[in-house]
Amino acid sequence: MELKKLQQQWSSFPETSMEERPVLSSDLEKIVVKNPLSNAFYLRKKLLTRIAVFSVLWLVNTWLLRLQWLGEGNDLYLQSAFFLLLSYAIYFHLRLLLFADYPTLLAMPLIPFLSKLEIILDKYIISFKLLSAVTAFGLLVLFELLMARWNPSAYDSFSRNIWYKWLLIIFMAVSLDILLLNKAIPRYRKLLGTVRKYKDGIIAKAR
Amino acid sequence: MSFFDVEIQSVITEVGILLEYLRRHSKSYPKSIPMSNSQRTGFNTDLRSLLKHQHKKVYSICRLFAHTYKEHQYLFTNIIAAASQNIRHRGTPANKETLVLHACINMAALHMIALDMPTRSTESIDFKSSDYQRAMMEFHDSMGNVSDYDKFRLFLEFEKVPSEQLADLTGMPSGKYNRHQLAQRKEKEIPKKNFIPYIKEKLVWS
Repeated sequence: MELKKLQQQWSSFPETSMEERPVLSSDLEKIVVKNPLSNAFYLRKKLLTRIAVFSVLWLVNTWLLRLQWLGEGNDLYLQSAFFLLLSYAIYFHLRLLLFADYPTLLAMPLIPFLSKLEIILDKYIISFKLLSAVTAFGLLVLFELLMARWNPSAYDSFSRNIWYKWLLIIFMAVSLDILLLNKAIPRYRKLLGTVRKYKDGIIAKAR
Repeated sequence: MSFFDVEIQSVITEVGILLEYLRRHSKSYPKSIPMSNSQRTGFNTDLRSLLKHQHKKVYSICRLFAHTYKEHQYLFTNIIAAASQNIRHRGTPANKETLVLHACINMAALHMIALDMPTRSTESIDFKSSDYQRAMMEFHDSMGNVSDYDKFRLFLEFEKVPSEQLADLTGMPSGKYNRHQLAQRKEKEIPKKNFIPYIKEKLVWS
């Protein structure tokens, strides 16, 4: 590759073409408010949605935990565990959102930027485990609430079988995790692999 | 109405109030920036004129990384959007041009990552204007299969950016360091990183 030849060809590019026309103010007005990151890299909306859903669940769970505490119910430990899990899930997602800091992400130098993208994707993949655990707990609590309303005698017998509940939660959490591992996670894994490979390629070339 | 129903209704009302509050106070992008407004702020005028002034730089990196008209236009708009976002959130009078370069390099890297994904489009060069098509064909032929890092270096060379700035833009030490110097730098860094590595890795993400 001859730099001089490339420089000559670079200078011979047409001054104005269909591809490189002067940018108009009306174009700029539309472009500057556009989000530059594609959906695969921009996880802000997904994280915010999860935080909102988890917060609602956390409020409902706090109320149920209070009822269990006052009435010395059978589900006190289960609700406490759900409370802790939800609190951690909210903390994890908030932390990831604050860490990502999307408005300033693209202002970083290339390698730190790619490293940060890698960490964000890695943590987002981990967050699916929390999602499956929260969903399993949520489904069980919903099932119990519905059962208490429609069939109180069945609820009575079900609420005494603590071990069954824990087994159900574990079974549902593992099943959901396997489902997400096969359906939602692979594309993020591929993306993470590509980002990592690209970053390593740049580093290797720079050294 | 039972105690249970009253409690559920009050919780639903509270959740509704919370959601309404979040909707009103959530940060969202403005629908448009009043660029043609005579009462616009000085910053928006600065941003507009800066982007207009720098748009050739953005087209330059598109020449190196785009293969088709569609890719070219897509990359151009994304870089301009990224540059405007960078300047709006991190801009100071001194660093605006650097932020534009950061946007160019980072968005070009993301573009190449997207092309590396399995749904890769064809790499054949295909542009609308014939002169541009010919210039791109010749240029890409001469360039051959150079790495993206070399393309970034070429871009900085063509845009007359000092080579010392490459280290700041990529976050990598520049070529002026030899192996011995790099090893010395690594040795200096080791004591800092040796703080309970496993726990640090779990607690600190960056």
